[in-house]
Amino acid sequence: MADEVKETPTERMVLNFGPSHPATHGVFRNILELDGERILDVEVEIGFLHSGFEKLGENRSYNQFIPIADRMNYVSPLNNDIGYVLAVEKLLGIKVPPRCQYIRVIMCELNRIADHLVSIGMHAVDIGAMTVFLYAFKQREIIYDILEFVTGSRMNNCYPRVGGLVADVPEGFEEKVTDFADHFLPTVDDMDRLLTRNRIWVDRNKGIGAISAEESISWGLSGPILRAAGVERDIRKDEPYSSYDHFDFEIPVGTRGDSYDRYLVRMEEMRQSNRIIQQAIANLPGGEINVDDPKIILPPKDRVYHTIEGLIHHFKLIMEEHGFQPPKGEIYLATEVPNGELGFFIISDGTNKPYRIHVRAPSFINYSVFPQLVKGHMISDVVAIISSLNIIAGELDR
Amino acid sequence: MDSLEGNQVVVKLRATFPDSIIEVKEFRGDITVTIKKEDLLAIMQFLRDDEELRFNYLVSISGVDYLKMEGVEMRFALIYHLCSFKNSRRLAIKTFVPEDSLEIDSVYPLWKTADWQEREIYDLFGISFKGHPALKRIFLPQDFEGHPLRKDYPLEGRGERSRFDYNER
Amino acid sequence: MGLESRLGDNILTTVADKFINWGRKNSLWPLTFGTACCGIELMGTIASRYDISRFGAEVLRFSPRQADLLVVAGRIVIKMGPVLKKIYDQMLEPKWVMALGACATSGGVFDTYGVIQGIEQFIPVDVYVPGCPPRPEDIINGLLKLQKKIERDTVLAHRR
Repeated sequence: MADEVKETPTERMVLNFGPSHPATHGVFRNILELDGERILDVEVEIGFLHSGFEKLGENRSYNQFIPIADRMNYVSPLNNDIGYVLAVEKLLGIKVPPRCQYIRVIMCELNRIADHLVSIGMHAVDIGAMTVFLYAFKQREIIYDILEFVTGSRMNNCYPRVGGLVADVPEGFEEKVTDFADHFLPTVDDMDRLLTRNRIWVDRNKGIGAISAEESISWGLSGPILRAAGVERDIRKDEPYSSYDHFDFEIPVGTRGDSYDRYLVRMEEMRQSNRIIQQAIANLPGGEINVDDPKIILPPKDRVYHTIEGLIHHFKLIMEEHGFQPPKGEIYLATEVPNGELGFFIISDGTNKPYRIHVRAPSFINYSVFPQLVKGHMISDVVAIISSLNIIAGELDR
Repeated sequence: MDSLEGNQVVVKLRATFPDSIIEVKEFRGDITVTIKKEDLLAIMQFLRDDEELRFNYLVSISGVDYLKMEGVEMRFALIYHLCSFKNSRRLAIKTFVPEDSLEIDSVYPLWKTADWQEREIYDLFGISFKGHPALKRIFLPQDFEGHPLRKDYPLEGRGERSRFDYNER
Repeated sequence: MGLESRLGDNILTTVADKFINWGRKNSLWPLTFGTACCGIELMGTIASRYDISRFGAEVLRFSPRQADLLVVAGRIVIKMGPVLKKIYDQMLEPKWVMALGACATSGGVFDTYGVIQGIEQFIPVDVYVPGCPPRPEDIINGLLKLQKKIERDTVLAHRR
């Protein structure tokens, strides 16, 4: 009887995974070729959310592109905004005051925590642990409360501007952030206790989707995936921007490069982000938040409403064919967002609209390694691997 | 300008490939080296494997259409951003592609990340890559006509977004 | 529907109307077709603070055969259009469609070659929820408006 089973001829099957699927967080299609439950080959098809961001950038002025940049990685929008604004400030050759830099760091780290909470929460839901998802989203709601208090909206905040911020933080910001940072770590400990040494979690994630350090560099990976493979690379430490070198934090590095290590790297990064927030809020400097350059920054509103010079100044910066005009040139600036290295390559032709904006999206580059990671595994591992890569479809397709 | 010509990367490149370099520019701390299209693969290999330079990471490849910019003779250009982890250094290599022969060597043999990035440029600009394993469109449907990121393509498209004949296709 | 639609306009059909509509509106099973940012706000609505299961829409089904409310959350591009049409066609009657957010309603910020300027051009929409993204309270408001619309429904074939 056992010999008969061994001799049974089998056929390869083609299974379509997506684009509308509960376990792929985002819209992309994987066509799997299976032999029983083992995956032999996979073909990836993306482009189900391609909206033409880069073409839109060529038709909008520099400040008008900020709300559009938000909508790329919609789980942590302020990271995209701040990355773009830093790139334009490099093009202009200006540096913002220290208070603005510290506030930007706090916003970036709050968004980094929010992104990792979503990533781990959705990873857990896919493997089957619903409780971790609810814990993570409860903390996210507290972060949303802080962001709404400062910027006016929960998501897609569009808070920075070229040369500074929209407005200073309101009264009570420091208490709220200190309160959040002091009470956040017990939630991470709860999630840790539920998952890290859980038999099912370890079995479903250890050894799944492993990649070596040289391969990661060749595939251009970045962020937690690269660090989990053993490469110690973080732009906040190697090429510091926006006064990240004033803070004391560590970079977690993994060894095996599999799904389990990626999860551990993200958990530790949340703790380190909490550390950065506590240091930044304790040492928040006073002073101006906008750079002192009337050609770039809008005048205060009471001047606009009560003096003619204020009105003309406002007009010259806001209206359709006006606005500040950077010098001609091409620059590239990269920042460390929760998914990896987000880069903006901007070409200016001397007018008020950019000539070309090219976005180096980390999710797009990270996803290209997926066919190699998944070969030889089983169908249920596909879900674990996709969730551990943290692919955000808006950034993938732009 | 002396500090630019004294830069280690520029010195080594000029020494090894004296005829291939067209221009070296520096703007806000970024160095851009413009090279001839034919020597692309050789220069990239040198930059990756040289012991002192070790540009082991290809960050991104950007395509540009210089149609509407004055002072630039050839229309299409590709810019390769490289990074060296060991020396914490970045470099941009630019090469122009003539409009009548829109083809260039693929750097996939050196860095595997070039696979999808070159497909994106093929999809949005129409530049083909010799030696690429599977060059086809990546973002837009396979039967899409035109290359949207070219400057002569309108932002609102040419009517593709209003075609709803899904049941016939 | 069946025999009821031929009974004429009397107390039997109005009582049947009330009962059937009450059952349908309080147990809408959504198919969350979330593509982009609005999908994240929808997830926030389903989580514990803005609990959507208070209104009966707790059971999220990702299969079109088992759902009756199609919530389109996010921008729909030309490659995704046929997929959405197929899923809408596969759903069984009675079914309703909610267009969540500015992009599903009319294209939103993205007036580009790729984005379809409003899903109403190829599938019929019952409720539009504006916002970019709409707050969870707005999403619940949209659901309540849809429930009010379902209350006005009737079994009589000629009246519909």
